[in-house]
Amino acid sequence: MTDQQPQSDRPTPLLELRSVSKRFGAIRASNDVSFALNAGEVVALLGDNGAGKSTICKIISGAYSKDSGQILWNGAPVAIASPDDAARIGIMMMYQDLALLEHVDVPGNVYLGQEPSRKVLGVIPVLDFKKMKRDTVQLLERVRIRIPDLDVPVSQLSGGQRQATGVARILQNDSASLLIMDEPMAALGIQEERKVVELIKNLRDSGFAILVVSHNLDHVFSVSDRIIVLSTGAVAGILDAEDATHEQIVGLMMGGALK
Amino acid sequence: MTDATTLGSGIGWKERMGRVHFLVYVILALYVVIPLLSSRFLLPSNQLNITRQVSVYLILGVGMTFVIISKGIDLSVGATFGFTAAVSADLIKNFGLNVYLGIAFALLFGALLGALIGLMVTKLKVNAFIAGLGMLTAYRGLTHLYLGADVIVRLPKEIVFLGQGFIGFIPVPALLSILVALFGWWLLRYTRFGRYTVAIGSNEAACRVVAGIDVDRYKIAIFAFAGAMAGCGSILMVGRLNGTSAVLGQMYELHVIASVVMGGTTLYGGKGTILGTFLGVYTIGIIENGMVLIGADFHTQRVLIGFLLVLAVAFQGYRERKKGVMERR
Repeated sequence: MTDQQPQSDRPTPLLELRSVSKRFGAIRASNDVSFALNAGEVVALLGDNGAGKSTICKIISGAYSKDSGQILWNGAPVAIASPDDAARIGIMMMYQDLALLEHVDVPGNVYLGQEPSRKVLGVIPVLDFKKMKRDTVQLLERVRIRIPDLDVPVSQLSGGQRQATGVARILQNDSASLLIMDEPMAALGIQEERKVVELIKNLRDSGFAILVVSHNLDHVFSVSDRIIVLSTGAVAGILDAEDATHEQIVGLMMGGALK
Repeated sequence: MTDATTLGSGIGWKERMGRVHFLVYVILALYVVIPLLSSRFLLPSNQLNITRQVSVYLILGVGMTFVIISKGIDLSVGATFGFTAAVSADLIKNFGLNVYLGIAFALLFGALLGALIGLMVTKLKVNAFIAGLGMLTAYRGLTHLYLGADVIVRLPKEIVFLGQGFIGFIPVPALLSILVALFGWWLLRYTRFGRYTVAIGSNEAACRVVAGIDVDRYKIAIFAFAGAMAGCGSILMVGRLNGTSAVLGQMYELHVIASVVMGGTTLYGGKGTILGTFLGVYTIGIIENGMVLIGADFHTQRVLIGFLLVLAVAFQGYRERKKGVMERR
C-alpha cells in the first residue's frame, strides 16, 4: 500500500499527478489526487459511481482543465489544455463506446481523419486504401491481434475485435505512450473479455502505460498491476494487485465514502 | 456467432449488396409485367426515352445521396433546380452569357444555394428538414419574382444538344447523367470528401472529437455539392425543354428522395450507394413510363410515388430494427 512517491533510484514515471483538484460548484470531483504511472504497467482506476474516476481521466486527457495541482510528463510539468494537446504528447483516451463508425471497415476506422492519400495522374488526390490496409495489419500485429476480414463494417465485428480496432486507431499515433481505457470490458462476453485482457497485456509488454477505468473488481484484478482506489474524489489507497484482496478494496471504496 | 472464423467476407458482401439485389429483382419483374400491359414498352425508342426521362433525376439523386448518407436531407433540391434554371437560362438567352460560362455559372449558383442551406444547418443549427423546407419556399418564391409570368424559350443549340441530342443512338442527357453518376461513385468511394460524408453520417461525434474532422466545413460542402448537381441537372432540363418557367422542378424533391431511399441509402445515415440511387431512379422511371403507356394520368402517378416513398422508408426502418435486435450489446 505504498509507492505513491517514486524514489530517486527509480526511473522517472511517465505520468505523475501531484495534488490535482477540480471542483464543479460545491462538488469536489477531484480532491488532492496524486499518483504516478510508469511505462509498461497497467494501473486500474477503481471506484464507485461518482468517485471521480472519469473526472481524473478527463483532466489527464485534456477534456477538463484542473483547478489546481501539477501534471508531470516524463518528469517535466506539462499543461494539457485540450485532447489535441494530450494526443500530441502521447496520451490517448479510448472511450467506452469506442466511437467507431459502424458502417466503415477497420482500416477506415483506424485512419479516420488521418487517411493517407496518393495522387492519380500526378494531380488528383485519392485515398490510399492499400496503404491503409497494409499499415492496419502491421498495427494489429504489433498488439498480436488478427482480424480475419478487415473489409467488413465494424458493426459486424465481435466486441474484442472492436476493442482492437479502437486500439489500432490509437497506435496509429506514433507518439502514443499512455492509453486510458474507459470500462474496456463492459458488456463483453467471457471469451471476449479474455481477449481484451490479453490485448491490454500485449500493449503493456510493448511498453505502453495503461490506465484502466472500471468499477468492476473482477475485471480489475484480471488485468492490472496496481490498483488506485478513488472515493469521493480522493485517492483512498494505492495497492499492488498481487497483494490486494477484494475485502481490502471494498473497504477502501466504502471507507472513503464514510469520511 | 460473432466468432472470428465466421466472419467471412460473404457476410459483408451480402450485407452491402442486399438492398441493391432487391431493386434488380423489382426491375426484372417490371420488365415482365409492363410488356403484358403495353406492347410499346419494350420498343427501343421507348427504352431510350426512359433513359432520357430519368437522366435529370439521376443527376439530382447523386447529390441527394451524399446529403442523405451524411444524415442530412435536402428538401430544397427542386426549388434550387428551378431557380438555377431560370437565372442561368436568362443569363444565356437575354444577357448573351457564353454557353460554357453559363453552364459553369449554373453549377456555381446551385452550389451557392446549397451552401446557404449548409450554413443554416451548421452555423445556425437549424434542422436540415426545416432549412430545406424554408429554402424550398424561398427559392421558389425568388424564381417567381425573377421570372414573373415570363417563360424563357429558344436557347442556344449547344444547350439544346445537351438536353435533346444524340451521340450515335444514345441520348446525350442519358450519357451525361451516367457520367455524373460514375463521378459521384468515384467521389464517394475514393476521396476524402466521400469518406467523410459516410463518416459524418455514421458517427458525427466521433468525427469531431476523436478524428478532429472539420465536420461543419464538410457538411456545407456536401450541401453545396447537392446544389451543384441541381444546377447541372437544370442545364440538361433547360436544354430538353428548350426553355424554362417558374414552376420547373416542382415536386422533384419527392421524386429524388424517393429514388435515393429506395436505392438503399438510409435516412439513419452512414450508408448508401450511388449504384443504389441509379437503380432507384430507374425503378421509379420505369414505373412512371409504364403508367404513362397504360394511360394512367399524372396524378395517379403521384399517388403511387408517394406510397412508394413511405413503403421504402418503412422497409428501411424494419431492416434497421431487425439488425439492431441481432447485434450484440
